Amino acid sequence: MIARFAKIAFGTVAATLAVCAHADEDVLSNSVRLGAYYITYDTSADDLRGPYVPPGINLKLKDVVTPYFAYVRRLNSHFSTELAFGLPPLTKTYGKGPAKVGSVPYNDQEIVTARWFAPTLLLNYSFFDESARLRPYIGAGINYTRFYSRKSTAAADAATGGPTSISLTTSVGPAATIGLNYRITRRFYVIASVSASQVDSDLTANTAGVLRKTHVSFNPRAAVIAAGYSF
Amino acid sequence: MLRLVSGLCSLGMAVSVMGLAGCGSDTDAVTAGTSTDRGSLVYNPPLRVASLTAPDFQAQLAAQAAGQSLLAIAGAPTCGVDIYHIEYNTVGGAGEKTTSSAALMVPTGGAAAGCSGPRPIVLYAHGTQTDKTADLADIQNPSNAEGALIAAVFAAHGYIVVASNYAGYAMSSLPYHPFLNGDQQSKDMIDALTASRTALPSTPSSATSDNGKLFISGYSQGGYVAMATHKALQAAGVAVTASAPMSGPYALEAFGDAIFYGSVDIGSTVFGAMVTSSYQHSYGNLYTQPTQVFEAAYAPNIAADILPSATPIATLFADKKLPQTALFNSTTPVTGNAQLDAALAVPANPVFALGFGTSNLITNDYRLSYVLDAVNNPDGAVPTPQVGVPPAAAPGNTLRQDLKTNDMRSWTPARPMLLCGGDQDPTVFFSVNTGTMQAFWAALPAGLVTVLDVNATPNPASPFAPLQVGFQTTIAGLLASGGQEAVVENYHTTVAPFCTVAARGFFSQF
Repeated sequence: MIARFAKIAFGTVAATLAVCAHADEDVLSNSVRLGAYYITYDTSADDLRGPYVPPGINLKLKDVVTPYFAYVRRLNSHFSTELAFGLPPLTKTYGKGPAKVGSVPYNDQEIVTARWFAPTLLLNYSFFDESARLRPYIGAGINYTRFYSRKSTAAADAATGGPTSISLTTSVGPAATIGLNYRITRRFYVIASVSASQVDSDLTANTAGVLRKTHVSFNPRAAVIAAGYSF
Repeated sequence: MLRLVSGLCSLGMAVSVMGLAGCGSDTDAVTAGTSTDRGSLVYNPPLRVASLTAPDFQAQLAAQAAGQSLLAIAGAPTCGVDIYHIEYNTVGGAGEKTTSSAALMVPTGGAAAGCSGPRPIVLYAHGTQTDKTADLADIQNPSNAEGALIAAVFAAHGYIVVASNYAGYAMSSLPYHPFLNGDQQSKDMIDALTASRTALPSTPSSATSDNGKLFISGYSQGGYVAMATHKALQAAGVAVTASAPMSGPYALEAFGDAIFYGSVDIGSTVFGAMVTSSYQHSYGNLYTQPTQVFEAAYAPNIAADILPSATPIATLFADKKLPQTALFNSTTPVTGNAQLDAALAVPANPVFALGFGTSNLITNDYRLSYVLDAVNNPDGAVPTPQVGVPPAAAPGNTLRQDLKTNDMRSWTPARPMLLCGGDQDPTVFFSVNTGTMQAFWAALPAGLVTVLDVNATPNPASPFAPLQVGFQTTIAGLLASGGQEAVVENYHTTVAPFCTVAARGFFSQF
């Protein structure tokens, strides 16, 4: 899996390098974007496994909205690269499963909070002529997600049995996007896009040395509305 | 511009490389204890495995047939129960440092209802477990009947319960279990108590505290361990309020002799495998080659500590790793001594006869050497009770020496004790064990040692009469539904809840 991602990553970078050398100096080749990410999760996870875990203990994530930033580099009239990232949102994970574990509430309880640093590097293809005001585009690339500030909540500590540390392995996975770019002026434009990426992680909860684990596919789907400035 | 392009390209490369290099875990540290002193906690605060209110616990029990029976005997929970898994440092059978684990069950609820505030402790020892992963704290596990029993009988009625899983089980680092090693097992229990007393104030259940009253109980193997623990604490000058060992093999040498003479108990191959593994590790004196004791088909398995095992015991039997019932060969030794040969013959009693077969565990040669030593250095209780029922003065057989080392005819309790059991128990013989201890302590002041036979004719004036009636009704039901075979198979476990509730009643006097 890592080898496959490596090929994608190096392929993307190689393509960037190849076209960078032919960048047209007469057009505005760089732009930055600022907008909003609306991220929804189509999370699927194995039931938590480990000592003292009743069947059916699972989790789900709540949607988040966070500022979106991107740097876009024009490669030629159709291709561009986009490095996109959001201000790492505080993502809240909720219990999914039985209403109670013993007598401790579980389902729909906020159990873990974490922040994600998740830049995505995309190679985009824009349709129509470069002079068109409205240009649809599609893109593919790679997402890197690293989790930090992971916290088990008091509700989770009650359910898991005590102060709990959470680890989530870093994820590298493919990403894809589809969007519309509307040019307002030579320098200003707006975009709207939806994108998806594969974010898989192994979650380990450690409570007094007792480890409970699961594999989580977060499957984030992001909708973006942003304004861009070319220079 | 070129610099910008170069920057972008470098960033793209950096992100990609960082992604590829950064796939490891990102884990926060978990605080763990560093001391390996006996009784020190490995983790503090410990893991709370379950937190149950009284109604939820009652509902959980009522959802299963076994739980319904337990509720009928123990009564509905009056307290909630928080259950913790604790890990602590202790020693193995040869004094080596190791870890063990225990269930700490804490009553919760109102102080006025006797569910919080200062409460008494019951230090509980469990019965023989073949499952190496068995954990009394795993209260949601349907196979953890003994954990549910002590939670329902004691914790849900206001007693703090400390119940060791024993070294060699659950998350213990010891690769074997020091089965019926009185010195080790009492240390394991005392270390569980020390660790639990340390842990309790740092748990969410700290509204419940130790009131200084210490009761000790246990069933079967745990009955023995409970008595050994009472003995050890008394020797150490630690106050024990009272104890209630139940259905335990207390008079180990007498019990061993009875078995080798031919009165083979139900479960003998399991007990035989476990006790020899334990004593070989602890004392190293049973054999130099396991085939000196065991048939060649089984010797390697015993030497490799086949029990306890994570493999189900039924699978071990089916895979012929251990014989299910045949402790001895059905072609018994012939010595030429007619009296001895008759004593070694397959008994007429069909229950004892189950212990004989062709795929047997213990060799005829070893059985004969053991019995010859028992003849020459007789135990004072078996086969013929002597005055004072003393153990043999100087047994020569090393297994008999080890059994004598661990025999409970070596002390006298100074605090009240209830000995509970059922007199037809085919697994741990009542007369050989409880009866022998009763005879051994016959000269003690009245009331110090109380013996309760749940199978005896109920005395309406006795507070235990309803339990005796309940037990005998249950046995009659077993006989009606499954015949004598069902009674033999289930007698030992059927005694347990009735004796445990009797123990609670006994403790409530203090």
